[in-house]
Amino acid sequence: MLAARDVRIVLDRRPILDGVSIAVPPGRLTVILGPNGSGKTTLLRALSGEIAYSGTVILNGRDSRTLRPWEAAAARAVLEQAATLAFPFTVREVVGLGVAAGRGGLTAAQQRRLPERALERVDLAGFAGRFYQELSGGEQQRVQLARVLCQVWRPVVAGVPRYLLLDEPVSSLDVKHQLAIMRIARAFADTGGGVVAILHDLNLAALFADQMVFMHRGGIAAAGPPAEVLDDSLLEQVFDTPLRVGALPTAGIPFVLPQSAAPLFPR
Amino acid sequence: MLEALAQTRSMSAPRGDRAGRARLALGLLAGALLVAMVASLMVGAADADVPRALFDLLGLAGRHDPARLRDHVIVFDIRLPRMLMGVLVGAGLAVSGAVLQGLFRNPLADPGLVGVSSGAGLGAVLFIVLGSAALGPLAAAFGAYALPVAAFAGGLASTALLYAIATRSGRTAIATLLLAGIALGALTGALTGLLVYAANDSQLRDLTFWGLGSLAGADWTKLASAGPVIVASLAATPFLASGLNAMTLGEATAHHLGVPVQRLKTIAILSVAGATGAAVAASGGIGFVGIVVPHLLRLSIGPDHRYLLPGSALLGAVFLLGADCVSRIVVAPAELPIGIVTAVVGGPFFLWILLRRRGGIAW
Repeated sequence: MLAARDVRIVLDRRPILDGVSIAVPPGRLTVILGPNGSGKTTLLRALSGEIAYSGTVILNGRDSRTLRPWEAAAARAVLEQAATLAFPFTVREVVGLGVAAGRGGLTAAQQRRLPERALERVDLAGFAGRFYQELSGGEQQRVQLARVLCQVWRPVVAGVPRYLLLDEPVSSLDVKHQLAIMRIARAFADTGGGVVAILHDLNLAALFADQMVFMHRGGIAAAGPPAEVLDDSLLEQVFDTPLRVGALPTAGIPFVLPQSAAPLFPR
Repeated sequence: MLEALAQTRSMSAPRGDRAGRARLALGLLAGALLVAMVASLMVGAADADVPRALFDLLGLAGRHDPARLRDHVIVFDIRLPRMLMGVLVGAGLAVSGAVLQGLFRNPLADPGLVGVSSGAGLGAVLFIVLGSAALGPLAAAFGAYALPVAAFAGGLASTALLYAIATRSGRTAIATLLLAGIALGALTGALTGLLVYAANDSQLRDLTFWGLGSLAGADWTKLASAGPVIVASLAATPFLASGLNAMTLGEATAHHLGVPVQRLKTIAILSVAGATGAAVAASGGIGFVGIVVPHLLRLSIGPDHRYLLPGSALLGAVFLLGADCVSRIVVAPAELPIGIVTAVVGGPFFLWILLRRRGGIAW
């Protein structure tokens, strides 16, 4: 279990997180949603131990503060929103950084082949020899995801679950790759790992999430399975926009939902 | 040849993996260093039978022969410490550059940029100008070590000050550190200028020569004072390599990858202060080694610090020994300050890097 209890963060005397509690259970895909500035990324940073907070974060039964950096890295991997690269590494070398950070669950021979397997997984087979900085934004995002996957390739090691923390993992991606990446996250959860992802696409979230967590002004407005938690008044309150769940557009306006591609993959 | 060999090896290595190529380059550089070390012993104003002198060193034979005795003095007391100093200073400066560039995530960072060199320089100038008067007790206490100690103390003091300025609640802000380094560099430069203004003629000559940098003053005493510090600093860098690799993706990502970021920064800054301070103390302001060497290596073997750091040590030593040989040959029997040679190579190289960077990819 990855969980935060009563986490508070104050930056420049402004409360960013105001006593947030959240549970990211293994085997589940948890999606965090909310307007800009509601504290989603800050909550993820608290969960990853990146910033100081008051309250408690528990990772697999241990207080996150007592974990050495490499112990935490063996149990969870983090995909950040924007990653810039200071030096001209090849795609394979970037992905290799994840292999070096992850411990356990793989033989040396498997580790050597891991970057290629992870790249294939994110639909970038054949990109290993390219320079990272020459790729498009969406390709870079998928390279970073491949790196993160390498760090926790096995969702469960020695009976202990591992976690993926993804901050807007599909923000730069076309719809095909949005679905592909969400399927990877789904598969990670289905095989015993825990996933927490920040998404802005309500439809994508409703399609893939086991649990949706809506944040609003540094607190949690609602949390639960999509079918239970999604309703008009919550969306209006959280996003300050009149939205209606399940409403069809006026006749004549076309719309495409990611759900229409859903039958293509097993759930 | 490197290309061809790397090609044949790449058959087995996966695409995008430059590790095999890097190991090959390290082997070739080690060979080049041996050649440069021998060349450095052979080149000089005086004609000496170097092989015979080296042979004599082993057997300690022929000491009664005046020619052999003279050769012994030239090789053992002049060229050998100078060669070893060149190896250590070159390796120390180049590795310091590579570590700082990795730490600051900026390929143009250099020990000169964070004020280590200028702080060390101020320490040395303070000692040269005020040595006999204000710093008399220091001179008395340290004897021949006084100048190196003063420079080393200046370098460490400026680094520690910068680090204190840029570190808030256990985190070092790299941008603040860089900018504070520039400010402190200007301040130490002004103080140095003030001291130069107050200096007399013979002190001025000392200052000018020291400021341009030279290995000419290397002897066993200086080697014994600067050498251990440089060696200890270099010995710490292998432990930094994988952490610096992760740092290229940013501090946050490095943390997520399991790197103890703050400890990495502390060790990196201490080792840079040690290696640069000791190198500046021993040989003055030799510039551009820390910029030129890591860049050339990144172009050929990539930026992986596991190979970049040892490669920088080897190529830095080769580069400085080469520059020292040039400085001894071009105006023989006199010699140029080595800093002039490295600046003539390094200045245009630096501009070339800047022009390349405009293309969009930061090398």
